[in-house]
Order: sequence, then structure tokens, then C-alpha cells
Amino acid sequence: MKKILSITLTLAATLSGTSTAQSAGTLTVITHDSFDVDRKLVTAFETANHVKVRFIKGGDAGEMLNKLILTKAAPLADAVYGLDNTLLPRAQAAGILAPYTSPAIAGVPAAYRQGPLLNTVDVGYVALNYDRAAFQKTGLKLPATLRELSEPQYARLTVVESPATSSTGAAFYLATVQELGQDGAVAWWRTARANGMKVTRGWSQAYNEDFSLYGGRYPIVLSYASSPAAEVAYSKEKLTASPTANLFLPGSTFVQLEGAAVLKGSRQPVLARKFVDFMLSGAVQADFPTRMWVYPAVGGVKLDPVWKFSQKPDVKLAPTSLLTRSQALTDLWVTQVLRK
Amino acid sequence: MTGRNAGGRAWRGWALAAVPLAFLLAFLLLPLLRVLALGGARLGILGEGYFQARLAWTFWQATLTALLALALGGPLAYLLARYHLPGKAALLRLLLLPFVTPTLVAALGLLSLFGPRGLTGLDLSETPALILLGNLFFNLPLMVRLGYAGFLRVPPNLNAAARTLGAGGVRAALQVSLPLAWPGLAAGAVLVFLYSALSFGLPLLLGGERYATLEVEIYTLTAYELRLPEASALILVQLAVTLLATLLYLRLGRAAGGGVPVARDLPRPTGWAALATYGLTVTVLLLCFAPLVAVAVRSVTGRAGWTTAFWTGLLQASDPGVGLLLGNTLRFAGLTLAASVLLGLLHAVATYVTRSRLLDVLSLLPLMVSPVSLAVGYLILYPSLRAQLPLLIAAYSLLATPLVVRSVLPALRAVPPHVPEAARTLGAARAGVWRSVLLPLTLPALRGGAALSLATVLGEFAATLVLTRPEWATLSTGMYERLGRPGEQNLGEACALATLLMLLALTVFSVLDGGKGEVT
Repeated sequence: MKKILSITLTLAATLSGTSTAQSAGTLTVITHDSFDVDRKLVTAFETANHVKVRFIKGGDAGEMLNKLILTKAAPLADAVYGLDNTLLPRAQAAGILAPYTSPAIAGVPAAYRQGPLLNTVDVGYVALNYDRAAFQKTGLKLPATLRELSEPQYARLTVVESPATSSTGAAFYLATVQELGQDGAVAWWRTARANGMKVTRGWSQAYNEDFSLYGGRYPIVLSYASSPAAEVAYSKEKLTASPTANLFLPGSTFVQLEGAAVLKGSRQPVLARKFVDFMLSGAVQADFPTRMWVYPAVGGVKLDPVWKFSQKPDVKLAPTSLLTRSQALTDLWVTQVLRK
Repeated sequence: MTGRNAGGRAWRGWALAAVPLAFLLAFLLLPLLRVLALGGARLGILGEGYFQARLAWTFWQATLTALLALALGGPLAYLLARYHLPGKAALLRLLLLPFVTPTLVAALGLLSLFGPRGLTGLDLSETPALILLGNLFFNLPLMVRLGYAGFLRVPPNLNAAARTLGAGGVRAALQVSLPLAWPGLAAGAVLVFLYSALSFGLPLLLGGERYATLEVEIYTLTAYELRLPEASALILVQLAVTLLATLLYLRLGRAAGGGVPVARDLPRPTGWAALATYGLTVTVLLLCFAPLVAVAVRSVTGRAGWTTAFWTGLLQASDPGVGLLLGNTLRFAGLTLAASVLLGLLHAVATYVTRSRLLDVLSLLPLMVSPVSLAVGYLILYPSLRAQLPLLIAAYSLLATPLVVRSVLPALRAVPPHVPEAARTLGAARAGVWRSVLLPLTLPALRGGAALSLATVLGEFAATLVLTRPEWATLSTGMYERLGRPGEQNLGEACALATLLMLLALTVFSVLDGGKGEVT
């Protein structure tokens, strides 16, 4: 029994050790799972502000928002990074954010600013990609419109993420609604699905399992406009061209504005604001593009040369009138497309 | 035994049960009730065709998996217990590997074999067959190991007597060994049913929307759609069915007695027995290891052929380094192991001493409840614990403890009552009896249970369960992170991490088993 007792004591000691870690000088920041910034920059922020930053990962951006809404009464963190323009209306309605406009937002083009609740930190483009070699094997011309993509000749070539469970899927769906109207979009999704367009739950399934580049059967995948550049950066041999390319069909591309905000009920509001400023600072803006594969929001930041393999689509921001309906539109998709 | 003695026994037993019961109350019952209370249950959705189809599929695939596992694993367990096979201990130890495999790795492995460009040339993607294969991959080992433990307790002389009296090998197996080993087999089949009925990862990754299980729907309704009343309705249905299965299992288990596992010299199989033994062994090996081998192969082959780039890339990674991932994995697994062995042992001893059916059922409760709904309960219930390590460890201990109880309890019950009584008669104090008689007899089962429970958690620290923190990165979160980024290097490094996890698991199990292969 002695052995068991000593295990219990060790366990108790370890547990109490960790639970006292949350001291007064801790700033808690909740992020989506893809968050990644150079640790050295964070350490510099900690030193400058005499604070310890504790990051917690809240899942996919949509999941994270729901966790924040569920725990509104006792906020999970002081600041949040990773909410985007599609989620902002819901965050606003739930009243989980405290207004703060960072002085550094002056460096962000006016079109990308989203008001006092969310400070735009980066810009991403959700876009269709295709596997060049695999698509060539089909002998088909690239489709030029969404309608063409849903026609029989392009049957079973495309994999996209579900608007209900993936922020990428939701962005793509909103783009189709903007292009085809609500009824037109629902009809398009039904046709495309009947035509063998695969819908997965999340990005990594679509990309790592179903995309033909990694052994799947679909040569067209819903990803980001930056993915071809990432393919080059993460290739084991030096590439002069990306094995994938963007397929910017009208109504298939969506501008995602991700931002940082102060959470209502934060115990460290001053530091939380400083953290928002930090995310907009030059050093951080220059660091994350090759980690999170999004464009910095602040103008004039120098990008790594590998970004030349990515293209910015010529696409306008979704209007607020569309974004405020995003939850209702997703419900519509679930009942009219998924469960039909 | 006098009434006063029995009363004292029960009192001491319930005192022992206090700790595991308090744990269940805090980390299972209260969080679950909190979620159910949050929005009530909108049972109306059970009338919708869509959810009825989900319900039917969930329990159909669980039943089929349990039957298939029984049909393949049962006979193999019997043959392994009857015959000497070179490398049997190694085989049983290897069989823990699928258990430790993170779902994402299993999915990658299965698709490498049965995907559109799979090595087998057989494309099973988007069919229920792939889900069933995945279920078997995870659950067949459990069936074999529990069944093996069951058959090991059948006294060999009984079987020999039947043979002497003219019964054939098959008849002796069916009429003598099977009824006696039934608790082990039933335990296996019901655990397989429970695991498959609550399965989450595989249908999430491989099932698409057509083969989503109830747990996947609960997850979607909770995490993405924030429709708690609808989710609660599904939680209740799932709980009701798994509770029924558990009660049935406990009844079955009580219907038959047990014996002490006996070490003996076994013959080598010959003739039909040899054919069956080797045939089944190869089948199980293929089902359980081919996907893992496929992943290991992927860690050294890229688009352009053989490469070491993924492993060197992985070892050179600095933020976070492999050392941190490895250290965290071991630390969390160790803490979970300590907690679940302690809780499981207390729960098993308390159940044994009190002979309480309620305690018996309660020990299986963690296997019946939706982990997704518990996670929501934790978030709301424990604001100060939310991003703390104890909550993470508690959540995983909750999942691991039932396996310790399930291993230790049959072993305790199998101790012939006259053994401790004799010790008492010879003057040993009560505590002395436990220390010198009961615990040593159950130690092999405890080690086996500990290995199983460690296996369940070692690969699963990716936690949709509670909030995670970057400094808690483990081998499996490192893998998820890489799979979340595009590029060949990321996928290759994820496969290398998976391979590393398998090697680590194998080492840890060898240590736990004491190298004797005395695993149950």
C-alpha cells in the first residue's frame, strides 16, 4: 500500500502545483487551432509588459465562438484571436466582445476594418485549388463557372468542406449565395452533390484524405488561395512550380478577415488591448504569413518570396447584409441540402 | 459468515467506494446533468427521419462490429489459450498497438490501404465496409485479449476430462470451455459494442455525413450549431441504449463462474487446430497491423519515392521540439495511469467487498456517457479549472478507469474463497490477507488493465474534450497540427510522429507487462 500512497501524494502535489499557475500576472488568450506565432515575439511581449501570456486553443473558429458564448458568464480568456467576418455578427449578437479599436488599425486599409469589436489582423482567401497533374489526366478543360462545375462532365471531381462544420465550407457557401442568390445557391449545392461533389466535415479531411495530391480521388479541393505557395514551402525538394493551382471561379472565392478582440468581462482589459496591438505590430505581421498562410492586414509588410506561388483573387468583400444572415443560411443548408 | 461480519464488510467497502464515487459525481454526473438542464431535451427530433436513420446506423454498426469481433476474436482467444505458439506473448503485446493509435492515424492507414489509390487496389472509401474495418481494427484486440483471459481461467483438467470421455476438440471447446469462459467473451463483446456505439473519431473522419453516428451528431449539434436541446435528446437515447447493454452484460457475467488463470505447458497445435490458429492469427494481424504498417511506410516514402526528409524534418523541428512532445505525452499518460489505477483499484475492491450491483454498473458508466456532452458540462461547471491540467487528466482518467476495474474485478472474484479464509484462520490480519494473498493474485490482472487503460489514453491527448494549451503539445496534437497544414512535408512528419507514438507504446507496454507476457 505504501507505493499507492506515494503515487497519490505525488499526484496531489502535481495537481496543486499546476492549479496555482494562474497568478495575477497572467494574460489568457484564446485562439483557434491554427494559431501560430514565433515564441520569441511572445516572450518579448511578456518581458515588455511584465506578464505571462497563456494561450488556450478553442478548436475551429466556429467551435471557439460557441465555447465563448456558452461560457459568457465566466469568460474563458481576456483576449481572442481568430474570429472572422463570418462569425462577427454572431459574436456581436451574443455580446461577448468589448469594444476596442487599436491605434495600429490605422495601418490596415479602410475596406478591411470591421468596426470597434474586431480588429482585423490578417486576410485570407478561401478558394478552390486543383491538382495540376491529376486534372490534366481527366483531359477536361478547367471549368469556368460554378454551374459548369456542377455539370455531369465534371462529376466526382470536387471535394469541399461542410458549411455546418467548417469555416472554410461556410465561407464558400456564403460566396455561392452571394453569386447565385439564396435559392439559387441551395439548388446549386443539391445539383453539385447529386453530381458527386463530396462534402467533408473539415479541411484536413478534404485536403489530406480526399484530394488527389494525397491519394484521394478528387483533383479539385476547397482550400485557400495561399495553399499552392504552402505546397512549395513544405515540399521536401526545391520546386520551381507548385503541384497545385488556384481555380478562381466567380462566386467560389471568399475574403476572410480574421481579427483580434478584447473579451467582455476580461480581468486584464489593459493587457488584452496591448495584445491586440501586438498582433498588429510590424514584427508579428511579418512573422505569421508563412506559419498560418494568411496575408498580413497591415499594408507594406514584406512577404517571404515563396508567396509568389500564391495569387490574390479579384473578389469583393461580402456585404454585412449577407454576413448577418450567415447562421440562418447555415441552418437552411443543413435542412435543405444535408438532411434532404 | 455472520450477519455482523457481512455488515462490517459492506460498511468498509462503501468507505472505499467513496473516492471513486466522488470522482464520478464531480466529473461525470454533475457535468452531464448540467448539460441536460441547460436547454432541456427536445425529444421531438427523434421523430425526424434523418435522426432515426442515424440512430439505426449507430446501433447496427455497433452490433455488427461486436458480432464480427466475437466470431473472429473468440475462436482465436480460445486457440491461443489452448496451444503453444511461438511469439504468443509478443503477439498479445502487439495487439495493444491498435488501441493506442490515434483515430486520425488509423484513418490515414485505412485509406492508404483501401482508399481510391490504396495499396490493396480495393477502394472502400465512402462505404460502410471501411467503418466496420476501422471498428474491428480498434476493437478486435480488446476482444482477443479479454477472451484469452477468460479461456485461461478454464481449468485445463476439465477440458482434458471431456476429451478423455470421448468428446472431440470442438465439442470440448463448445461444451466445456465456452460456458466457463463466457464472462470473458461477453465482457469483450459488450465492451466492443459500447465502444462502437459511442464511436466518434472514425465515423467523424471516414463516415462523411452518411455514416455519422449519434456521437458525431451530438458533437455537431453542440460544438457547431449550439443546439443543446436537440443534442440532449440524442444524449438521452444513447445513454438509455448503452445502459441496457451494460445491464445485460453484467447479468451474463454473473451467470457464469470463474477460475484462476493457470500457467501450464501447452501442446503445439496440429492438423485443423493448426490451420485455424495460424489462419485466424494472420487474419487478425492483417486487420490490426496492416493500417499501422501503411502509416510507417508513408513516413519514409514521399511522392518521389523513398526519403528520410520527414524524419529529419521532425527531429529538427524546434517549436515545439520532439523532446517536449515526447515528455508531455509521457507525463500526461503517467498521471492518467496513476489516477486511473488508484480509482479503478478502489472501485474494484469496493465492488468485490460489498457485492453491490450498483457499484458494478457505476464502474461502467464512463463508457456509456457521451464525452462530447461532458466536455460542455466541464466548460460551464468549472470556470476556474477550464484550462488547467487537472481537468485534462481527470477527463482522461474517467475514460481509462473502467478498463482497470474490468480487469481487476474478475480476477478478485476468481480467487477461491477458501484461500483468504485459510489465511485468516492461520492468524493473518485483514490487511495482511489483502497484502499477501489477494493483491498478489490480482496483480497480473492489474498490470494488464493498467496497460489497456494506458493504451486508451496514450494516443488521444488531442482533446476535443477540454481546452488545450500549446505548451501541452503531445505527440498526437503535434500530429493534428501538421495535418492541419498543406504540404507533403507536413503529412509525412505526421506519419513519422505516428510511428514514433507506436514505438513508444510498444516500449511502455513491455515495461508494464514485466516482459513476461502475462497480459490479460
